[in-house]
Amino acid sequence: MKHAYLLLIGVILLLSGRPVYGQQPAEKLVSGTFTRAPFEQFASQIEAQAPVRFFFDPTVVDSLLITLQVQNQPVRAVVEQALQNTGFHFVADEENRVFVFTGDMPQTDLSSLFFQPAPASSAATARPDDPTLEQSPDRPREVSASEYKVHEIGAAGSSKGKATLAGHVRQQKTGEPVIGAAVYIESPNIGTSTDQFGSYSLTLPVGRYDLKVRGVGIKNTKRQVVVRADGKLEIEVEEDIIPLREVVIEAEKDRNVSGMQMGLEKLDIKTMRQVPTAFGETDILRVVLTLPGVKSVGEGSTGLNVRGGATDQNLILFNDAIIYNPSHLFGFFSAFNPDILQGVELYKSAIPAKYGGRLSSVLDITTREGNKKKFAGSGGIGPLTSRLTLEGPILKDRSAFFISGRSSYSDWILHRLSSPGLKQSSAMFYDLTAHASHEVNEKNTVYATGYMSSDRFRLAGDTAYHYLNQNASVKWRHNVNNQLYGVLTGTYSHYEYDVTNSRNEVNASQLKYSIDQPALRADFSYFPSAKHTIDAGVSTQFYNISPGSLRPVGGASLVKPDLLDRERALESAIYASDKIDISPRLSVSVGLRYSFYQALGPREVYRYAPGESRTEGSITDTVRYQRGKVLASYHGPEYRASARYSLTENSSVKVSYNRTRQYIHQLSNTASVSPVDIWKLSDSHIRPQVGDQTSIGYYRNFKSNTIEGSVEAYYKSSRDFVDYKSGASLLLNHHIETDVINALGQSYGVEVMVKKLTGKLNGWVSYTYSRSLVRVNAATTSDMINGGSYYPSNFDKPHDVTVVGNYRFSRRFSTSTNFTYSTGRPITLPLAKYYVGNSMRVLYSDRNAYRVPDYLRLDVGVNIEGNHKIKKLAHSSWTVGVYNLTGRRNPYSIYFKSENGQIKGYKLSIFGQPIPSITYNFKF
Amino acid sequence: MRAFLISRRLALLGWLALLLPGCIDPYMPDVISGPSSYLVVEGFINAKGVTNITLTRTQAVAAKAAVPAETRAAVYIEQEGGANRYLLREGAVRGTYQSDLLALTAGARYRLYLKTLAGAEYASEFVPAKITPPIDTLLWEAAGSGLTVYVNSHDDTNTSQYYRWEYDETWEYTSAYAPSLEYAGGRIRPITIPYPSVCWRSARTTSIDISKTTGLSRDVVYKFPVRKLSPSSDRLQRRYSILVQQSALTRTEYEYWELLKKNTESIGTLFDPQPSQLTGNVRCLTNPSELALGYVGVHSREVKRLFVDRNDLPRTWITTTGYEGCFPPDTAKIGFLDLYFGRGLLLPISEAYDERGRFAGYLASTPDCIDCRKRGTAIKPSFWP
Repeated sequence: MKHAYLLLIGVILLLSGRPVYGQQPAEKLVSGTFTRAPFEQFASQIEAQAPVRFFFDPTVVDSLLITLQVQNQPVRAVVEQALQNTGFHFVADEENRVFVFTGDMPQTDLSSLFFQPAPASSAATARPDDPTLEQSPDRPREVSASEYKVHEIGAAGSSKGKATLAGHVRQQKTGEPVIGAAVYIESPNIGTSTDQFGSYSLTLPVGRYDLKVRGVGIKNTKRQVVVRADGKLEIEVEEDIIPLREVVIEAEKDRNVSGMQMGLEKLDIKTMRQVPTAFGETDILRVVLTLPGVKSVGEGSTGLNVRGGATDQNLILFNDAIIYNPSHLFGFFSAFNPDILQGVELYKSAIPAKYGGRLSSVLDITTREGNKKKFAGSGGIGPLTSRLTLEGPILKDRSAFFISGRSSYSDWILHRLSSPGLKQSSAMFYDLTAHASHEVNEKNTVYATGYMSSDRFRLAGDTAYHYLNQNASVKWRHNVNNQLYGVLTGTYSHYEYDVTNSRNEVNASQLKYSIDQPALRADFSYFPSAKHTIDAGVSTQFYNISPGSLRPVGGASLVKPDLLDRERALESAIYASDKIDISPRLSVSVGLRYSFYQALGPREVYRYAPGESRTEGSITDTVRYQRGKVLASYHGPEYRASARYSLTENSSVKVSYNRTRQYIHQLSNTASVSPVDIWKLSDSHIRPQVGDQTSIGYYRNFKSNTIEGSVEAYYKSSRDFVDYKSGASLLLNHHIETDVINALGQSYGVEVMVKKLTGKLNGWVSYTYSRSLVRVNAATTSDMINGGSYYPSNFDKPHDVTVVGNYRFSRRFSTSTNFTYSTGRPITLPLAKYYVGNSMRVLYSDRNAYRVPDYLRLDVGVNIEGNHKIKKLAHSSWTVGVYNLTGRRNPYSIYFKSENGQIKGYKLSIFGQPIPSITYNFKF
Repeated sequence: MRAFLISRRLALLGWLALLLPGCIDPYMPDVISGPSSYLVVEGFINAKGVTNITLTRTQAVAAKAAVPAETRAAVYIEQEGGANRYLLREGAVRGTYQSDLLALTAGARYRLYLKTLAGAEYASEFVPAKITPPIDTLLWEAAGSGLTVYVNSHDDTNTSQYYRWEYDETWEYTSAYAPSLEYAGGRIRPITIPYPSVCWRSARTTSIDISKTTGLSRDVVYKFPVRKLSPSSDRLQRRYSILVQQSALTRTEYEYWELLKKNTESIGTLFDPQPSQLTGNVRCLTNPSELALGYVGVHSREVKRLFVDRNDLPRTWITTTGYEGCFPPDTAKIGFLDLYFGRGLLLPISEAYDERGRFAGYLASTPDCIDCRKRGTAIKPSFWP
């Protein structure tokens, strides 16, 4: 192509003085017929007919095909028609030079931009009305500037056809990494999202691109890059300081359709802040409950049931450390301070091979990194709790810390009450989080997190409960090169509770339970080419559980000490997965995780008569295992596979299959999670749980990606999860296997969700139809439940409708609404009483044969922001909300009591009235 | 000032109520308040003796009425294959049915068949007749925690394995007062027929006591605690007797009792264990969807009696009498005697005198405190020594 000068447009424009826009096109008339003609061919044909010259970058236009039929039309009109809807624009100058480029139109006043400091050759501009760029008058200049300049990556000439571009996306103001931001180019469609360190890596054909960056809580931006060889590009983005601008669930607008993941819900802290809660405190678990496929038995219980799974089947990670009790005060508050959270990711299906150990879901909670540029603080004051966070750099731009605390002060209310019972009650909790990160050098970064949450409450002066979570994690990230990095993570999780009863000094006793879990893991990510993303790693964790002890308290106590043997086990896993982009339309991801589990001595293990229901009476032998001896071992593969096929530009179909294995079980034979539930390890009698899930989904975006729709269907089956014999006792049970049975489960459902992400009115509507069934078909009839047929689980709520909506009246005033309806949960009812065995007996219905009344709740909230001046002492906001606006008495618990020889039923509602709250939040 | 404090407390209470306005409402779903009435069959087919069967019906859980009996039913014991059929006749107590003295063939399978007056037919499953081994010894021990009665048994054929025990206990007691006077014809006079000084009262097991020996290499029951009494139990005040009845069960019957025991252990707390439906082995033949409750086993029953005398128990044990509420006695003033004694609400005991020794009226107490027959029987049981 004779006129194909490889010139940078800006250089030409600079030399040629002030450009003239479209007003003065070449008036000469031209004709031609083009059918999917390469742009170069089109250009040369026009050049042949008129005195115009085209300037363009052949690598940019190589995908541009022209289909056009024109007869004697002006050149300008022809070019306009040719480039219509192609994403390409053109500018013509006085000398009939036509500059063709993709993306953005040069700005009128170019001169000021050309003299911005630029490292390499620089050029090109953005037009002010580009919707991808949030223009605001107070926008920091350096961010705008880096959008306009062209970044050259690698030295020219070293090109191998493809090159890897890597780097980090960071907050411009604080230097914190931006997690889950989409970094992509549009033609060809290649993209990735930043990982938990804010880093990204893209393998692109050598050439010039607009690298776009979109993410939750940041302003959309882009970088113009010319990729010549492997190289780095650090991207700083602006924080979106107007917190209530929109509900953003997923970072990238078309991720719903084009992303690989299915069954993944991402929530950022700003979305969570908008959902009204009972005590005015942002509660991540409450917000997670509004997502389709996530249910709980009742309010006041933080146990999550994801797609029909039990509450113990969720892996809850806080900066990679496992959390065993994610709530405060029986579940009325979440145990995480909202001010330090970055976001939450919930995997409901297609769980990445990296994660394992739980059957149903992964809830990955990550904290922010702290401000790397200056000291800052934030906090809030509510009716029952207050919180404060301080953060700042240790070494500017390289290391940062934050320390954050939250505490309740409900005691003072209780102590002022006249009722002696309530006066002696107390309820107190706090949590503390500290985090530090340090960039040792370009290739090495270290992170450390410490977390602690504690609860103490005493009811009417006799029984005192105490809960404690202590977690620590240390992470070292090492970049080997642009295509390979590794992360070494060490974590320690500790959870304990104790219940002290001191009403009667003779019976005074303390019940204790604790779990300790150190873990070590190494994860590697490798990007060999644009088509492959490989993740691999190994992990190991040690469990040390004290399953229960009862000790006397005080000298007068006659309680006999009772101590259960410690349980120990080692769980290890190795995994690898590869995400392959077979074609722009089809991507698949395949992975395999293999987990190994060994229950370790010292321990006494009972042997039971075969074929008998396991009871104390059928114990035949006791075997003593020495320290370190393996008393049971299990292992097995966990398959992970998913695929995406794009039907059109805005619709796609995804399928996934995954198998998961779980070696630790939560024992709770009450409907909701109770404060004395314990975690039990698999052993010679209790087999690991295994679950399989297949899901398929259809995704479609409407109105240029502003409305997202999705329909997902799933079928899950699980075996060997723990169910309980009738009348099981789980506390301080020396032979727990006599009271539990391995059950089969199946669940299936359809989740429909429509989200509107932008505009004054935004939010989401979801409807879920789901069933969750259990079957206990034991060999012995006395262990069977409901005759060995499937019955609804405690959290089987077939219909569920959630509407979360926000309306923004102005930038400072917005309202939010949350509406929830679900079918009542199943319940076992006493049907009649009768006289047998010289005593009155109760005839119960089949287990879970009836349901409590339906659940319905409406919450509203109003957010009032302070003014948005960038420079002021503190940004503040008020949150006013009403929880359960209609005051409906939704049943939390139904129970039956024998009173004067009669059995009476009662319904307990926790929130029987509307609950108003007001919270003041600040940030400095 | 005080009023101010109270009003402030009220305000705080109101605020707390606003913060946590939890509430408890009565909840009675239709299925509980108006359930169908199902047939309940209680009893077992006695392989060596008289079979007693009680037929009742279930009631709504909130019902206060007595347990409804199922009367005038035709009840038979049937052998599998129709070889033998034995009739049960309704006794004096409504809803109870009794057979003649029977000796069934061990190992042969029998069932209970019945047809209600309304025409519905029911039958239990055929169950092989099991012969219960005798109780080897019945012994008691007194320890700090009280009196425990143990049972020992064994089966050399290793076939019994599943055991259930019931008991009838009887104890001797005296009333609080032995009056020397009586009120008759509007005046006080020396008592003509004294109240009985000793009575006997009986009670039957209310718990389900079962055990199995399948985990043992031999079919031996050693020291199964069948009854526990606290050191202060009123049953130990004079002489106590227990008649322990031992039954050998089939495995399915054992499992029925085991589950029934667990099902009725506790009800009505926030963290209740999961109960489950349990019906037994009786089915309605005419309408299979109609529930029927109860398990009719086929076995013989072995009994053994034990006596415990107060004098053999530790002297430090202070038993109660059950008459603690009778002290002190009332004093009936002269002039109001008819008011006190005329309707028999109180009975005179003896003359009463004030501090200075002057006649002040009559000591009196309720018939329940005086007449021990109000709580038992004065007829000495035939087995009592």
